[in-house]
Amino acid sequence: MRLLDTLWKALDERLELAPLVEFATHKEVPQHRHSWAYYFGGLTLFFFAVQVATGILLLLYYRPTAEAAFESVQFIVTRVPFGWLVRSVHSWSANLMILAAFVHMFSVYLLGSYAKPRELTWWSGFLLLGLAMGFGFSGYLLPWNELSFFATRIGTDMTSKVPLAGPWLLTFLRGGEEVTGATLTRFFGFHVAVLPMLSAGLLGLHLGLIQRQGMHVPGHLAEEARTRKPLRFLPNFVLREGVVWLFGLAVLAALAAFFPWELGNKADPFASAPAGIKPEWYFLFMFEALKLIPATVLGIEGELIGLGAFAVGGLVWFLVPVLDRASAHGRRSRLFLALGWGVLAYLVSFTVLSFLGAFQ
Amino acid sequence: MTPRRPGPACHPGNRGPRSTNDPRAAVVRLGTLAIVAVALGAAVAAAGPLAASVVGPPGKSAADRCTACHRELDEARLQAPALAVGNDTHHAQGVTCAGCHGGDPTSDEPEVAMDPKKGFLGKLEPTQVPAMCGSCHSDASFMLRYAPNIPTDQLAQYRTSKHGQALAKGDVKVAVCSSCHGAHGVLPPSDARSPVYPSRIVETCGACHGDATLMARYGIKGDELAEYKKSVHYAALTQKNDLSAPTCNDCHGSHGATPPGISSVSNVCGTCHLTQRERFDESPHKEAFAAIEQPACEACHSNHAVLSPSDAWIGVGQGQVCGSCHAAGDAGAAAAESVAAALARMHERLVAAEARVKKAERAGMLMEEAQVKLEEAHQGVVLAQVEIHSVDPARVETQAKEVLAAAGVADGLAAAAEGEIRFRRTGLFVSLAVIALAMVALILKIRRMERA
Repeated sequence: MRLLDTLWKALDERLELAPLVEFATHKEVPQHRHSWAYYFGGLTLFFFAVQVATGILLLLYYRPTAEAAFESVQFIVTRVPFGWLVRSVHSWSANLMILAAFVHMFSVYLLGSYAKPRELTWWSGFLLLGLAMGFGFSGYLLPWNELSFFATRIGTDMTSKVPLAGPWLLTFLRGGEEVTGATLTRFFGFHVAVLPMLSAGLLGLHLGLIQRQGMHVPGHLAEEARTRKPLRFLPNFVLREGVVWLFGLAVLAALAAFFPWELGNKADPFASAPAGIKPEWYFLFMFEALKLIPATVLGIEGELIGLGAFAVGGLVWFLVPVLDRASAHGRRSRLFLALGWGVLAYLVSFTVLSFLGAFQ
Repeated sequence: MTPRRPGPACHPGNRGPRSTNDPRAAVVRLGTLAIVAVALGAAVAAAGPLAASVVGPPGKSAADRCTACHRELDEARLQAPALAVGNDTHHAQGVTCAGCHGGDPTSDEPEVAMDPKKGFLGKLEPTQVPAMCGSCHSDASFMLRYAPNIPTDQLAQYRTSKHGQALAKGDVKVAVCSSCHGAHGVLPPSDARSPVYPSRIVETCGACHGDATLMARYGIKGDELAEYKKSVHYAALTQKNDLSAPTCNDCHGSHGATPPGISSVSNVCGTCHLTQRERFDESPHKEAFAAIEQPACEACHSNHAVLSPSDAWIGVGQGQVCGSCHAAGDAGAAAAESVAAALARMHERLVAAEARVKKAERAGMLMEEAQVKLEEAHQGVVLAQVEIHSVDPARVETQAKEVLAAAGVADGLAAAAEGEIRFRRTGLFVSLAVIALAMVALILKIRRMERA
């Protein structure tokens, strides 16, 4: 203990850390019947940390070329000690991270926490979710197996529908006209360099804003929060968050051990696409909706209309702190609340129905 | 089809007596046939350039007036050939109607175009067809202009066939070139729409050979088509789309179609099943079968209804093939028993190893190495089944040992995978216990802290 004290003193003397600790010990987390929502941002952060750690371990053996990618992942899961566990944890943790991020985003939305002065926090969070989905999309191709190859072909093909810039975007993403080894190398670059760099910056901003502005208390819960004693951030909230993280770790370990992530067959660009090919679950709502749109609507390509609608929907969702003017005055807009529940119902129902094979 | 050499020699043949009951008519007809054959032979042998109006340059579609007029005719029988030329390979290569039918293809006047003096033959008699087609297709230097690799011995082969021999005797019911390839709208055999394309040839032959009444006059049962459709060969052709699967012409020949004799059966089957043939030739069965005039492969596997072979066939019991010649207690029955026992051992071990490997795969383990060994074992089983044709139990046993060894390795890998699964589950439970303990400790700590 004496050693730790000496180390602390040395650091504090040089970096003036005492005010930070002072801030953390005096920081409080309000308590009300929806306080559970405060833990999902932290849980998402925990899974992100797991991703970084397991991703670095996978990098030690992974080779990002069309010739060697599949074999290197095969080597990881069959020959490298605990390689199967690291790969499985990486894949499961990616999915749990996106699930936790979705829960976090909807809880923030439905409790109206995006309202002024937290617009920047909402926007940075929105972009972070976009980056997480980008991580998922780019990482899905890296094992270079049959499913990932064809899912990437379909996914990247959608970008070609973008007016004017479509063909350029397609070539930029694929590194050519087709999904090839060049696409794999490029996706690897996005996955391990570009996206982590952007995420680190945005994450820093997001966390900094939360610390600076404190936790939001919804207007209708303000009275309850006033009557209940708030939690001290350090150590009470941090320890509770620790319990949630441990629970997340237990779920992750159980999934990785009982349901190891499948590797499938190596991608064959000359083979025909396997039947019933689908993207990752968090893209299903979009994938299935696009399938339901007729090939042409009023002479315009159906897929283009669908993608346009998703782009407009995404923009509305992004701009909701500005569009929902009532929220700035601490009031809830029934319209935006209904919109939130409607979007949630759409996402959940389309995802579940897709898993149940209702769209085949 | 033939680019005609116009001339009087081509005329006879499309006129003649029709009554088949009148013996005098038969004599006249045979005489006419002989004249036709001689005349056509002379025409074929005649040297000289081909009329450009009859056969155009290769690769350029034929231009003639025949099709233009016949398209406008009301009588379907006369209109149909003109409508069919769109697909016809000969027409596409510059051969006009006059190439086979004679006449003047440049004239719009029917009297001129179909003037017998200009070599017009009209509809060809079956007896005229082989020589007519052969006049081009047997001419190697002529065919070189169209398809350098095409065989030019079809006519010679046809004359050796049962069809050709019967035709030479005046039987006009037998197949001639147009019976299988079609007369108008002839497609290359490589075209999937051609009646001689592998997937369609069975029905083409079956048009006659599936007709028991017609076949009765030749002493043929007429059930060959139905029998063939039960076979593994037909299943491979139609279900797996395997165009290399044998059809009628692969065993009987196409132009020289004839049934293989008893002594030739193993040669015919052996063209594909090489090793089985080798083993059979080395076996004591070869001489024994020859002595009792038993066809080699057909004795156990049948001829047209070649079923998927089963290990259960080995033995002298009811429904087992060895029992046709051997009886319980003799040396053959003992060898069969020994072979059957080795096959059963292999299967038992292989099935058990496969089940264990599959179980490990279901539990999420990658079992690629085990799958390679199982594949090796499966190939070993096939080789052991090939060795059955040697009727030597020692050879089957040697192969069985290799199968058992490969299945044993796969089984060992599955056992190791099961151990790994146990280790992972134990590790998971230990980890979960540690995590749960940490959670409980944290909760207790929080409670104590908040109470204070």
